[in-house]
Amino acid sequence: MSPESIEVLISLLFPLVLLIGTYLIGTLLERRHFTDLRAREEHFRGFPAITFENLPAGWEATSSDVVQGSVVVSLDYFKRFIAALRALVGGRVKSYEPLLDRARREANLRMIEDATSRGFHAVINVRLETSRMASARGDGKGTAGIEILAYGTAIRLASPPS
Amino acid sequence: MRFTPRLPRDGINVSQEHPLKEATVLIVGLGAVFALLFILLVWLVDIVLLLVPAEAEARVFSSWDLSSLEVLSDDSRQAPVQELVERLAAHWPESPYEFRVEIMPGDEANAMALPGGLILVTEGLLDQVETENELALVMGHELGHFKHRDHIRRLGRVTVLTIGAAVVSSSAARVSLADTVGNLATRSFGRDDEREADRFGLELVQAEFGHVAGAWKFFERLDASALGIDRVAAYLSTHPGNRDRIDDLRALAAARGWPLDGEPVSLALGLR
Amino acid sequence: MQFPIIVTNTETVPGRQIVEFYGVVTGNSVRAKHVGRDIMAGLKNLVGGELKGYTELLQESRQEAAGRMVEQAQSMGANAVVNLRFATSSIAQGAAELFAYGTAVRVE
Ligand SMILES: [Zn+2]
Repeated sequence: MSPESIEVLISLLFPLVLLIGTYLIGTLLERRHFTDLRAREEHFRGFPAITFENLPAGWEATSSDVVQGSVVVSLDYFKRFIAALRALVGGRVKSYEPLLDRARREANLRMIEDATSRGFHAVINVRLETSRMASARGDGKGTAGIEILAYGTAIRLASPPS
Repeated sequence: MRFTPRLPRDGINVSQEHPLKEATVLIVGLGAVFALLFILLVWLVDIVLLLVPAEAEARVFSSWDLSSLEVLSDDSRQAPVQELVERLAAHWPESPYEFRVEIMPGDEANAMALPGGLILVTEGLLDQVETENELALVMGHELGHFKHRDHIRRLGRVTVLTIGAAVVSSSAARVSLADTVGNLATRSFGRDDEREADRFGLELVQAEFGHVAGAWKFFERLDASALGIDRVAAYLSTHPGNRDRIDDLRALAAARGWPLDGEPVSLALGLR
Repeated sequence: MQFPIIVTNTETVPGRQIVEFYGVVTGNSVRAKHVGRDIMAGLKNLVGGELKGYTELLQESRQEAAGRMVEQAQSMGANAVVNLRFATSSIAQGAAELFAYGTAVRVE
């Protein structure tokens, strides 16, 4: 094999190995996270975290404070590659959907965990915000993450639900 | 108001299509579209560029600004190589070009045909050829590019590739893969051109020396040393595999009855 | 995030009565990504998922922004901030502004 074809082979193989590797690891991590999310959501199922601006009729609060949870996430290399190709064609960018879904649920759960750990009984006026972190190099190649913030007003009730 | 805790069904916000399926569709689809576009553009540019008559090209490019190229303007080897090229070109009387040879520094053996009749030869090539017949085949090959106007078509291809690469890399993709694939495409695109140039080169060699003995010795040496020696990589990168071209030249000589026995002329280029 | 006074993102303080309001209070914090964290995040970026370093960084700066807002409120004699809002914006390469604002009020 000529040195030239070895060079070509390497320049073709390296991204390929990276794509396959990050796909496998990324998929594994994603699956584990979804399982974990579902389990925690089941656990906190009885804890009301709602978008009402005011207390539901009949509820009586004794105290309140703001609670929040946040997470910064990023796509794996494989999915970024797919998303970049997709951007050329347009259409539904499916590779971003699980990422944003995971991040929102994670931020929401962290907010609920903040509230329960401080002895609150419910969170009202839940707001979810999404913002993009600028890439360090500004050329689209640097590390850029997406931050999801969940926040709301936690309530301690006069007569807590059993 | 009563609170009844319930969870929505899982997975509604996530597409169930397998990401590998999407990846396959996108890669294959986009690859096909880009390949087609590339072929189409190269074809169009070829047509347009070939409409320019060789005389006009020779006129436009006759005053190449060599200051951007690092040529060795006072190299003593320039004159004998120039003289050899002129002797070969005499066997192609209808040529519209006035050929000009310039020597470039560099260890890689390479030669290039540029618009307007300019032939660039590297020092590495002059160091590695052993007889005048070997050098004549390489020079004849470059003259073949002029005859088929490959140099001007290559210019078109490079332009298409450069613009294409700029378009692709300005999108988020930024895949070096595009470069690699593009390079491979231009290379294999040129294989037939190279073969045709080789044949014309051998024809000139036969006309000049009356035999083709030792003409492809240089390619044989390149072929033997091809493993792991990177100084030949540059030559390989723009030219087809040496084994193939030797076989092709041998077949051509046999078909045309050109004699394979003769005494190669020794090369007197002077020492550096 | 815990503050010396009550903070809510609702227009009222559930369970309390607002008797006086003083005006808008704000707090901000502009942070750039730490080099070490950036390298770690760059590696994590390959396999995707949470970039813990950045989560912590933004948490810290949001904490600081909200803390400044609360300090403003206290300096006005308020004992609560209602209708809290957060905003995040990318200012320059690698730098983000975390901004918190609300209305300073006094509750019974
Ligand atoms: Zn050639």
